[in-house]
Amino acid sequence: MLIECNSALRSCALAASLLFSPLNSAVVRAESVLLTGATVHTVSGETISAGQVLIKDGKISAVGKTVSATGAKAVDLAGLHVYPGMIALNTDLGLVEIGAVRATRDQSEVGEFTPEVQSWLAVNPDSELLPVARANGVACFQPTPQGGVIAGQSALVALDGWTIEDMLVKPAIALHVYWPSAGLDVTPREQSRGRTRPLEEQDKERRARLKEIDDFFQEARAYAKAREAAKEGDNFLRVPSWEAMLPVLRGEVPITVHADDARQIRAAVSWAETNRFKIVLAEARDAWKVAGLLASNTVPVIYNHVFTQPPRDTENYDVQFAAPAALWKAGVKVAIGLSSYRASLAKNLPYEAAQAAAFGLPADEALKTITLYPAQIAGVAERLGSIETGKDATLVVTDGDILDIRSNVKRMWIAGREVSLDNRHTRLYEKYKSRPKSR
Amino acid sequence: MKAFSPASNRRFVAPLAFLAWLHVAACGAELSPPGFRPQPVGVHALVGGKVVIKPGETLDVATVVIRNGYIESVGGNVTPPAEARVWDLTGQTIYAGFIEPYLPLSGTNAPVSTTETQPIHTDSLTSGSVNFFGTPGQRTDLGASGPGHEISRITPELRAVTQYSPRDRALAPLREQGFTAALIAPANGIIRGSSALVQLREDNPNAVVLKPDVFQHIAFDTRSTEERVYPASLMGVIATVRQSFFDAQHYALDHADWSGNPQGRKRPEFNPALEALSPAAEGKMQVLIEPGSALMVDRAARVARELKLDFALVSSGQEWRRPDLVGQASSLSAEVARETGRMPVPPTFIVPVNFPTLPKPPTEEDWDQVSLDQLRAWDWAAENPALLRQQDLEIAFTTYSLSDKKAFRKNLKLALERGLSEDDALAALTTLPAKLCGMDKQLGTIEAGKIANLTIVEGKGYFDPESRVRDVWIDGRNFHIAAAKEPPKEAKKDEDAEKAAKAKAEKKKKEAELKELRTKRVARSPLEGRGAIPVKVGDSTAIGAFISGATIWTCSSSGRMTNANLYFREGRIVSVTREGTGSSGPPVKWIDGSSLHITPGLIDCHSHTAILGAVNEGTLPSSAMVRIGDVVNSETKNLYEQLAGGLTVANLLHGSANPIGGQNQVIKLRDGASPEELKFEGAPPGIKFALGENVKQSNWGDRNTTRFPQSRMGVPTFHENRFLAAQQYLAAQASGRSAGTNRTGRMPVPLRRDLELETIGEIIEGKRLIHCHSYRQDEILAFLRVMERFQVRIGTLQHILEGYKVADEIAAHGAGASAFADWWAFKFEVYDAIPFAGSLMHERGVLVSFNSDSSDLARRMNTEAAKAVKFGGTSEEDALKFVTLNPAKQLGIDKRVGSLEPGKDADFVVWSGHPLDSRSVVLQTWIDGKKYFDRSLAADRAAALQQERADLIAKAKKLAGGGGSGGAEDKKDDGSFFRVALEHQFDYVDRHCLDEEEEGR
Repeated sequence: MLIECNSALRSCALAASLLFSPLNSAVVRAESVLLTGATVHTVSGETISAGQVLIKDGKISAVGKTVSATGAKAVDLAGLHVYPGMIALNTDLGLVEIGAVRATRDQSEVGEFTPEVQSWLAVNPDSELLPVARANGVACFQPTPQGGVIAGQSALVALDGWTIEDMLVKPAIALHVYWPSAGLDVTPREQSRGRTRPLEEQDKERRARLKEIDDFFQEARAYAKAREAAKEGDNFLRVPSWEAMLPVLRGEVPITVHADDARQIRAAVSWAETNRFKIVLAEARDAWKVAGLLASNTVPVIYNHVFTQPPRDTENYDVQFAAPAALWKAGVKVAIGLSSYRASLAKNLPYEAAQAAAFGLPADEALKTITLYPAQIAGVAERLGSIETGKDATLVVTDGDILDIRSNVKRMWIAGREVSLDNRHTRLYEKYKSRPKSR
Repeated sequence: MKAFSPASNRRFVAPLAFLAWLHVAACGAELSPPGFRPQPVGVHALVGGKVVIKPGETLDVATVVIRNGYIESVGGNVTPPAEARVWDLTGQTIYAGFIEPYLPLSGTNAPVSTTETQPIHTDSLTSGSVNFFGTPGQRTDLGASGPGHEISRITPELRAVTQYSPRDRALAPLREQGFTAALIAPANGIIRGSSALVQLREDNPNAVVLKPDVFQHIAFDTRSTEERVYPASLMGVIATVRQSFFDAQHYALDHADWSGNPQGRKRPEFNPALEALSPAAEGKMQVLIEPGSALMVDRAARVARELKLDFALVSSGQEWRRPDLVGQASSLSAEVARETGRMPVPPTFIVPVNFPTLPKPPTEEDWDQVSLDQLRAWDWAAENPALLRQQDLEIAFTTYSLSDKKAFRKNLKLALERGLSEDDALAALTTLPAKLCGMDKQLGTIEAGKIANLTIVEGKGYFDPESRVRDVWIDGRNFHIAAAKEPPKEAKKDEDAEKAAKAKAEKKKKEAELKELRTKRVARSPLEGRGAIPVKVGDSTAIGAFISGATIWTCSSSGRMTNANLYFREGRIVSVTREGTGSSGPPVKWIDGSSLHITPGLIDCHSHTAILGAVNEGTLPSSAMVRIGDVVNSETKNLYEQLAGGLTVANLLHGSANPIGGQNQVIKLRDGASPEELKFEGAPPGIKFALGENVKQSNWGDRNTTRFPQSRMGVPTFHENRFLAAQQYLAAQASGRSAGTNRTGRMPVPLRRDLELETIGEIIEGKRLIHCHSYRQDEILAFLRVMERFQVRIGTLQHILEGYKVADEIAAHGAGASAFADWWAFKFEVYDAIPFAGSLMHERGVLVSFNSDSSDLARRMNTEAAKAVKFGGTSEEDALKFVTLNPAKQLGIDKRVGSLEPGKDADFVVWSGHPLDSRSVVLQTWIDGKKYFDRSLAADRAAALQQERADLIAKAKKLAGGGGSGGAEDKKDDGSFFRVALEHQFDYVDRHCLDEEEEGR
């Protein structure tokens, strides 16, 4: 009952959460809870005004205008809205605390090919950034490794739990491939002090880099074959990098390709097609330019460039705002991710979707880009992303449209546990708000 | 050893013989001692050739008689003297010898425009330079090794003439292009030294100098051998030029005073740099400025006017970007002329003919990487000389910046194809450079009495690149360049001849096609499609508008008005009313505003969005002398993108690299206007200060640990020091004013003008607002208290992330708070930043605004304001004021903007819905009653740009296929095509004053 408390109780809760992990102010409850009176934005189906959601054993056990809920504890949410918890894909949340302080950065590893690196192992459950994101309705995130060509694997992590193992929703949801740059270095020689190399030479290197990716996957396949062929008792030498590639080759871990330039995207799609890999495209600045190609190859997109300024001097001013709408019209599935790797602003995820809505994306689609579609892309749609019977009770209650900045999150449940909305910001706010007025 | 030259060996000759040599040399005969090659006869007659006396005056067949180095006579009926050696020049054309007006000695030969403009690098050493800022342990720019200027790139005392030792290896390529004389100039630094006009022949150096000390040379050049040495930014370079000239003026006065009465007063320092700069500072010596970019052409002209200089300019090659500025440059000099009493002469432009060459992208899709601006720069280049002539400017051509001088004539031909007349081109090679160098009595035309410098070209003449330069004559001496062409072989058979003729005709046809393609410019002016959008009422242009039935957020005491009308005319608001009282109908446009929202134009109190070159002069701990106003970039696409987000005013600030930064510039986003026209007229001047991690170089890497201050303890110490110095400066100024004559009965020498202390003095006098980057509560309080000791009220505390902790103190002091809405945790000092800060400070009586500090965020200040509603519950009307009225108050411009009230500027935004809702979009943005953005036209605008780009690429591909790539095609590709104009260097970089460690802002 941490949240439905008066201010006195609230400050007790605050004190408690200062002592313990701010992520874990929740109490696991066996009893079922019935949310009533709120407009239920199911996302997958109709929006139900003054609807009901029944939470039982961490799951949504019923949703509708009225549901039978004998013995459930009713929570009156009249006038409020219920949404599925938001999911932030492709972020460095949890891996970075303070960008300028090197000791607090864990998002990037050295080495060109490190598929065995697992990002979630480095997520700090006590990061002050996590409760800030959660307080605005972000329920899950994908801490994403960077660095090199194959940077490693990511997981989907919930913003609730005492340890990273508690928080883990699903490990190894993607292998991250940072597609080599397709751009040519065209710095005039007098500016680069003669270091700019001839374009043909650069073109050769560019091709060589692509071949390296191809080779790596071929070698992984060869390893898989050799491993299979190895008889029991053979002293088969296990190589962690290749081992990490096995589930990828089996199609169990999807490949997320990070690419911005249309040239990169075309190359990546063609590579995936040739190798019959399922890929997800991330960052995807120029994806709108090749929307048809992405649609016909059913490549979903994590779009991280809503707030990027137009990258070319011939684009309309709103090209990046309107890109999700363009992709949607072409039939591409889009999850909207944060425009920068600034983990501290992960809370602003819904406003990136709102910007896309302002520039042509229908509001219900905009909502899906931060709930259902990321759940599908992360392979957890059976558990998250919408308010449906059987899914996790990961819910956000707001006092207005979740895409509107002026709305506030009032309560939140993650997998059936109500979580605290308290965070570093609210604590400092309360503290200095109560500073006696000087003079 | 120049063995063939007797004169250069005169030091081996007895003094008497030397005198005798001087004597006979004057008589024209010259007897060399035995062993030297004898001198040739000095009389020549050039007969049978076509003589171009001067541009526009040609004798078809005439004779030129040369005697002992000068032209004795010229004309159709001149008989060659009997003693003359006769040269048959039938079929050749004789021009006055060409003059190269800008030949920097050595150096990289790269024009200033290509300078790397981001001067701060993490791995560099700290180094201040100017003496009074040298701090213990700090590596400094030692300046000259002997007496000289304290900034090593200020070397006016350097005389190119003393460094000239002619070498044929360097001279021959110029002679091959027909040049006979050249202005040699020092190549490095900011104030570089003086140039000399010399003959392009290898000889005794003394004999080839035509005129020493022709110009003092200035370049807006940020290159430096040392990193982090002042000045490192473009604005720092300009400030340095200003200060140097003021110093030179003061130096002259001070020394004159001292030499008249050396007793009883302090001896002024000897400074050869300032001494050498005096003639230029007094307008007695011409100055040649190389501004390096189209916008800096205007700045250079303005600085020259401010300093009352007699000046010429080196063209950036890109004046096509803003021809209006070139026109202004000429009228500016007329103003100087009025003030100084000199003849009003528009500045001559020295024009390089270095045109970009087309690249060969490895794949078709690599054309994606080519920007419209690069294509425009390529397509406009050859037209630039003609464009300068159209502005009635005099031009002189230079081979400067061409790595291969052979490209000169090919490029010249391209310029002619683009509308430059041959007479103008010839004048640009002969009469104009002669006049510019003050040598028009001796050079530039073929007239009796002038120096016998001639350029002789076969066939169709100089402007046909196929016709070779056969000879040049310098000082009456022949320099053979190329032999006559062998006549083409006769075709052996008729069949072959036919074939050859056919091939020739084919080639000719193709060449004609390519020529047509080259000649026709496809690129449009970058000014097209920018600026105010005409609003029509019937056939006439509206002078105002009446917008009816809208929801108007007045940001005044009237609050939010529904179903209201906004009426404005001639740029000012007439009324904001609930009833329809305005007079609509021509010439006032009626606009239906029902269902729309209108707010005042949004104001960004912290921006770096339209700054040319670096945002920081981060070298010295105080850079109060630098001015953002010198480097406003009117050409960046950021202006349009931010207009599209409803922004109308931006406070352009220096970065936060030092405790005392540079002077700010408030602009209105009148996209399309010139830098001067962007400036918010009458806005109180301000200056950027900074505290915390940036100024103590916390994130600059481990090598930056010696500049004072390195801790928060040192920051107030530093501020106090500079304010005390400024107080003393003001006092000295005041006593100088009131002193009258001194004890010895003389007028005292006026105080040396110190641009740094003068600026800080203005703060103390209450004439300049401080905008101080500040994060932590302790440093905020320390700063408030230091300023209070000097009775200074701070204008704004910028970012002010922990301002919520000391809101009462800030309110009591009276400083405004210009905050981030919700940025935090990007560095350690902002770990305690909270999004509630704006509301908290507002509740406690602080005047709060939200700023962007980002070219991206500046596009959506409305939703930043909405965060104050969300966090802390500020009312919607008050929250909107965070980005309208409050920043206007903080910048001292609230009498003009910030709210919608009668009499104020008609700066407003039309929104599709509630302005604080993310899902609303800007439909229109108006400034001064003119419409600068209209969403309904945006897509067409972009489509037109895309079409232009496609047309340019089509042209480029055709020309590349045809072997004609625009610039000289045989030149090895140097990447010149991809050169990014300074004006667009940061178009794709979201610049802000954080992250010094990455970007050096």
